[in-house]
Amino acid sequence: MLISWRYKFRNSIMDRIDPRSRWIFSFAFLISATMVWSANFLFPLFIIALIWYAFGQTRWKETRRGWFLVSIMLFSMIVINTIITGGGAGGVVPPGGHVLWPNGFTVPVVNWHIYFGLTVERIWFALCQLMRLGGVSLIFVLIPYTMDPRAYGATFRGLAMPDSVAYTMELAFRFIPTLARDLSVTLDAQKARGYELEKVKGGIFKKIARIAPLLVPVTMNAIIASEDVANAMDLRCFGQAKRTWIYELNFHRWDHMLNAVSVLMLVGIILAVYVFKLGGFWVPEWFMQLFV
Amino acid sequence: MAGKKKSIWKFGTREVVFAAIGAALYAVLAYATNVLQLPGAGNVSIRPAAVIPMFFGIAFGPIVGFITGFVGNILSDLLSGWGFWFWWDLGNGLMGLIPGLIAASIVDYGALKSILLGELFVILGAAGGMGVASLSEMWVSGADLNTVIFANFIPAFIGNTVNGLILLPILMVAYAAISKRSGRG
Repeated sequence: MLISWRYKFRNSIMDRIDPRSRWIFSFAFLISATMVWSANFLFPLFIIALIWYAFGQTRWKETRRGWFLVSIMLFSMIVINTIITGGGAGGVVPPGGHVLWPNGFTVPVVNWHIYFGLTVERIWFALCQLMRLGGVSLIFVLIPYTMDPRAYGATFRGLAMPDSVAYTMELAFRFIPTLARDLSVTLDAQKARGYELEKVKGGIFKKIARIAPLLVPVTMNAIIASEDVANAMDLRCFGQAKRTWIYELNFHRWDHMLNAVSVLMLVGIILAVYVFKLGGFWVPEWFMQLFV
Repeated sequence: MAGKKKSIWKFGTREVVFAAIGAALYAVLAYATNVLQLPGAGNVSIRPAAVIPMFFGIAFGPIVGFITGFVGNILSDLLSGWGFWFWWDLGNGLMGLIPGLIAASIVDYGALKSILLGELFVILGAAGGMGVASLSEMWVSGADLNTVIFANFIPAFIGNTVNGLILLPILMVAYAAISKRSGRG
């Protein structure tokens, strides 16, 4: 079994941005986008997310797995929850509203008369959801493809995490190829003994239990190996002094600018929501006129 | 290992390594079971790797359990290219942290009492972790409680609980055996 990271150096704008600034921007965006339901804020945020995504220079072929997952989430949240069932729309859309087909409508061919309580407000809410979730997805789907896995330990240390936690992350990255190889070897060894992981027979419980001959040896070997790694690290006085990192990160002028933009975006939205009481859900008049 | 009183909130060298190896293991197993296409029932996907943060929590404490779930889910998503979903990573972390709260009270991992206690905390861990992750969808997506419960919480909770309940006793018995055999502490 081959395990490889999705990251590839593309010489893109994103490759030149410090990973710490990227995390700061990504979380500032997430918090900002989730504080508002007004399209006046969500539309500019969505445009910012599109520009940010374009900086990554990823190709559809590479990212389609990520987008497949996002599309399932968007479908269940927007089409099923908001459009079809209504579902209260998280208590954001006030009850009532302008029903699109007050007298119902007839389905051609089968002549069924259906009463569907879809309101103009819910359609607009669905668009706002699309901008909000779409924007957040654009920012976060990009990360596996454009952030160098070697930088994670140093990045989280640079974001004020303790050395031990940042090093855990670094170490986890290093263990992945070893464990993938162990898993592959164990799978081959068990198959040689007649083990059939893909066997279709049996209920869901049997299928889960069937993973045990693969899971147990790999897990127990990993635990035994980690005892030796811990002893070796103790012998080298791990945790006795501040760590240095081979992968050094340096903020550039544009990183400082991005940090400032992130802080301004977040502070601006907080002020708009809590001081000026803006950012709540509302339907623009022009949109209402399209239907009513 | 077994047979020794532990401080559950300690995070020394051993815990750093166990958390790292747990996270890597969780990521590799989650990725591998996606690649190997385990036959599932209907559209319920089988994710046996969910037991890893629970087991690492019970064996090595809540911090190790949390990091195993949190970092492991991040790594798994990075490997499969599914993006970065902080609130689900947090939920996976809690799924390891909550069972980890009983780490100090388990002495013999092969004892029936320890296994039953572990099973109980698997349910609580899956409920707490997936509950937090699902509820945060209300904040992020603006979904209502019904959608969050039926579309997010129930499938994730049932899937992870069933995996945990079946695989945790097997791992605990195996761990008790290697602890006794190797005499490591």
